[in-house]
Amino acid sequence: MAMKKIKFVLNGETCEWEVKPWRTLLEMLREDFQLTGTKEGCGEGECGSCTVIMGGKTVNSCLVPAVEADGQEILTIEGLAHGENLHPVQEAFVEKAGMQCGFCTPGMIMSAKALLDENPEPSENEIREGIAGNFCRCTGYTKIFESIQAAAEAMKGGK
Amino acid sequence: MEEYSVIGKRIPRVDGRVKVTGEARYAADYSMPGMLWCKMLRSPYPHARIVSIDTSRAEKLPGVKGVLTGKDFNGWTWGWMPKTRDEPPLAVDKVRYLAEAVAAVAAIDEDTAEEATELIKVEYEELPGVFDPEEAMKEGAPRVHDYVKNNLSWDFHMDFGDVDKGFGEADLVREDRFETGRVITGYLEPPAAVALWDSGGITIWAAKQSPYFVYRHLAACFNLPLNKVRIIQPFIGAGFGGTKNDSLAGDFCSVLFSKRTGRPVKFVYNMHEVLMTCRRRHNMIIHNKMGMKKDGIITAMQSKVIADGGAYTAIGPLTMYLTGSISTLPYKLPHFRHDAYRIFTNNPIGAAMRGHGVTHTRFAAEIQMEMMAEELGIDPIEVRLKNAITAPYETINKVTVHTCGLKEGLKTLSENPKWKKRSGGSPPEGPLSHGVGISGTAYLGGARQRGHQSCGAVVRLCEDGTIDYLTGATDCGQGSDTVLVQIVAEELGLGVEDVDIKRVDTAVTPCDAGSYGSRVTVLAGGAARNAARDVKRQLAEVAARNWEVDPGDIIFKDQRVYVKGEPEKAMPFRKLAQVACYAGSGAVIIGRGYSQYGIEELDFDKGIGNAGTSYSFTSQLTEVDVDLETGFVKCTDMVIAHDCGRPLNPINVEAQNQGGAIQGMGQAMYERFAMDLGKTLNANLADYKMPLSTDVPNIELIDIITDDPNGPYGAKEASEGSTVSSPPSVVSAIHDATGIWFKEQPVTPEKIVMALKKKRE
Amino acid sequence: MVTFYRRLPKMGYVKPGSLEEALELLEKNPNGRYRVYAGGTDVIPKLKGRVIQSPEILVDLKGVSDLDHIDFDEQKGLYIGALATVRSVETSPVIKERYPILSQAAGSIASIQVRNRGTITGNICNAVPSADSAPALLCLDARVLLYSKNGGERTVDITDFFKGPGLTVLQPNEILREINISASPENSRSVYIKLSPRSRMDLAVVGVGVLLTKTNGTFRNVRIGLGAVAPTPIRALKAEAMLEGSEVNDDLIINAARTASEESRPIDDHRASAEYRKMMVEVLVKRAIHQCL
Repeated sequence: MAMKKIKFVLNGETCEWEVKPWRTLLEMLREDFQLTGTKEGCGEGECGSCTVIMGGKTVNSCLVPAVEADGQEILTIEGLAHGENLHPVQEAFVEKAGMQCGFCTPGMIMSAKALLDENPEPSENEIREGIAGNFCRCTGYTKIFESIQAAAEAMKGGK
Repeated sequence: MEEYSVIGKRIPRVDGRVKVTGEARYAADYSMPGMLWCKMLRSPYPHARIVSIDTSRAEKLPGVKGVLTGKDFNGWTWGWMPKTRDEPPLAVDKVRYLAEAVAAVAAIDEDTAEEATELIKVEYEELPGVFDPEEAMKEGAPRVHDYVKNNLSWDFHMDFGDVDKGFGEADLVREDRFETGRVITGYLEPPAAVALWDSGGITIWAAKQSPYFVYRHLAACFNLPLNKVRIIQPFIGAGFGGTKNDSLAGDFCSVLFSKRTGRPVKFVYNMHEVLMTCRRRHNMIIHNKMGMKKDGIITAMQSKVIADGGAYTAIGPLTMYLTGSISTLPYKLPHFRHDAYRIFTNNPIGAAMRGHGVTHTRFAAEIQMEMMAEELGIDPIEVRLKNAITAPYETINKVTVHTCGLKEGLKTLSENPKWKKRSGGSPPEGPLSHGVGISGTAYLGGARQRGHQSCGAVVRLCEDGTIDYLTGATDCGQGSDTVLVQIVAEELGLGVEDVDIKRVDTAVTPCDAGSYGSRVTVLAGGAARNAARDVKRQLAEVAARNWEVDPGDIIFKDQRVYVKGEPEKAMPFRKLAQVACYAGSGAVIIGRGYSQYGIEELDFDKGIGNAGTSYSFTSQLTEVDVDLETGFVKCTDMVIAHDCGRPLNPINVEAQNQGGAIQGMGQAMYERFAMDLGKTLNANLADYKMPLSTDVPNIELIDIITDDPNGPYGAKEASEGSTVSSPPSVVSAIHDATGIWFKEQPVTPEKIVMALKKKRE
Repeated sequence: MVTFYRRLPKMGYVKPGSLEEALELLEKNPNGRYRVYAGGTDVIPKLKGRVIQSPEILVDLKGVSDLDHIDFDEQKGLYIGALATVRSVETSPVIKERYPILSQAAGSIASIQVRNRGTITGNICNAVPSADSAPALLCLDARVLLYSKNGGERTVDITDFFKGPGLTVLQPNEILREINISASPENSRSVYIKLSPRSRMDLAVVGVGVLLTKTNGTFRNVRIGLGAVAPTPIRALKAEAMLEGSEVNDDLIINAARTASEESRPIDDHRASAEYRKMMVEVLVKRAIHQCL
């Protein structure tokens, strides 16, 4: 059960790494790369806390074997901001109180970003559908809807 | 009304930026060189005697650095009160609930620790279990604790006025049985910690909403003075009471492993473990009896509460106290009797959860009151208005209310166009039936707990005019850090950006009871204000000396300091800070403050006096669409009129009310543990159904401003109130849509369909 | 003993570059040494929870090219490859247009994150009675193409595919290569209705698929697929027969719905009682038929 060599792009940087085949992408991100922004809630694809974007699509990183990162482009919460400048979705979550305890927030923001990439002007219903795979126990979701709407507004015109 | 600069403003959270970037570190995000991983081995039986434990094979597995069993803790147990210390870190002689921890392994990585648990051999002698509290109370039932007769964990009784007389005066008396359901807090961050034992004592980075409780537990367990126990607070992935107010097997085992190995030790629970073994809300059976005059006036109420306490006492005595002592709010009760029994069973442990104790009995009383009003032909809002208290008010058990916005809230809702949409029993044309429901409830804020009242703040002035603010109060997500920073900034005429709040570190921050009972804004807020005023007083003296004026004439505003009526005598706050800090040796400006609200004694045995500093009042309207053929319920709208005294940060108060109401909605509609002989059958987030984005209604919020004298800037609690108001409001709406009163939570589609079928037959 | 595992069991990983290579591995597969997976959304949680026996080696099918196809041809119909994700089936324009029932069923599964990884073939190979895609595929008379080493190939009707909870006719040396669905009858209409307490991310308490054509006021090509009400997803054949060729009328629909309910064989579990499930089959079949008219 040899280590597997993989090569992938993580938050814009090319990485070469060796992983055990029984490691998940989530474990590799958190433990090998110290990217602890991505959280483990349930570990079985139900809570959405570990959501990252792989190949342009949201996935539960707790369900992805790390070896499958090979050849992929992966974006985590740490890769969203540009230096001091927050991504508009991050900015909106701060302004509109889209988070409380913050544990679901990285995964929620990744789902929101993927939604807006695909659908820049979502209706409230489309927002609800877009984040239906992300639990939040604190907010009751209303402020998250408002945050995503505000982000969509801010991103108009390709900002 | 005084004009504030920072208080009352919609200020974004001070921890917002670190939370949206992923920088905020939670307990499981910590790791250290040489760190070991700790893993629990748990019992496959809900009730069994431990005959023997053989750890030898596990110890021999390469990578394993230690194995612990119950005996390693030398008989130490903990509990909420001295006489209820019944819970061991690891089971010793027997296990009392399924998946109770019996052993722990420390290994170089988590894979090895997990593998090693499989090598521990435990021989059990299975014992008959008891899972139903009513069965457990009977003579001859199996005993969960050998020394406890009839499995009575705790009982609590109140008797005020003369209930028999009250029922005699009533035109209508009803008796109903209610059941409140088996639900759990539902935080997404499983408990975790990294513990380190070195010559300085214990340091532990642990997800705790009441770190100072755990600090006392660890000091007692390991026989260390308190100044050798250091709990450093990471960010907390929510709490909602119970588990994160308390200590866990993982905490004690990690610390002991670290003591033995000299290495840092980490544990992280998984979600199944949380849902199977962590503390949950008590399921309560409530036999409620209420008397009412023809005009809707309540004459008396009598409640008998039987709570499933599970295997240990935990915080149960306080739960029992709250089921009764707050029942006298928010409706006038001339006669009241309350008998609460907390019963041991071989189920997981019942404990505190948002809306603690109050949500249970208030649900029963609200529904029963409305059932009786219906029988008497009285409108649901009318019956509430007739019985609602008005401030100032003292209940029969001497709960004193200084401000109360209940009537105003209910009236506001009665005028809302949505209330006019009530079906009032008229049948719908298709299968979809619309319903509108109401509730009016109360909750305590600034909870005070026996022996754990301490609450202080330290405000340190830095020489550049910035502020370090130290508090022992814990923000587990509710936003209290932001409100506390606002308070300090307001007092000193600064902006929130000038004040930095440090996370709790028991070696540095002042002792505090943590987050429970909606106490932080009220009590820690009071302490913060007083500490900031202490700094202001010291600075005003320096400024007054400088300008040769009276210190009382110094104004702090907009990051400037000036003399009242003499605008030319002014300087930036930063400049005054420099002057003060450099004014000779020893000029260190530190402000101290304590909460001084509500410190009178309460009678914990009889239920007399104030468990809270002040009381919030919540009126809630809920709209649902019920599919009468499938029973599927869609909650479409909520309107919440909330009296939190004064919102210190409106956006935060809105968020709290929204979250609390949705948690209450989950309890009313979706959430329940399905149990079979002590086993939780649905210990995963697909089957334990918390609300998702697609399930939640639109929520409209209305602030009822009452400015309570016993809270900073008039503030009372916000959040637990809506967890209490939501379930009866939802159930009232489902009744309006279906014509059926549901007395057991949650009201699932199947229950609705079966009840409608029964009604037709 | 109870351990709440967070980590996967130790195992190897191979990613064959062709279907033949994968089938070669499976041919010498004693005691489940190899386990094939596509999206992993089902197998990974089961492995973490030690619910299934850990294989020595996980075989990742995603190295096989040309397996993620969704191809449509007027003559041959629709082909869905083993690696086509649930999300791609849900959003495929041709499926939305030609087989809306399948698009609806796919869209009702779990979360977007899971649908981005999980596959339709995985959904049926797991063979849980509540698999959302199954009633739709039953209504569409789908066939599954099973491959084994050396060009071994057989086609199985979806009605014969499921054998019990978690059991299918798929042999340990076989891989489900693709699903084939004929071009739907012209003017057919279809719908999948899922009943669960929550709106999303939930397991079907009852899932009902109906496909039919209304020709000159009579029912034609009637298919009724039921999920979560028997050990496997099933067709309600008696109810279909009642409707087939008959004139559309409300009483007949009510009777057919009742018959479908009688054909179901649900169990009591912590999610719902058998009685409730039977009642809901009747309600939902009736609704689904009406929606198709």
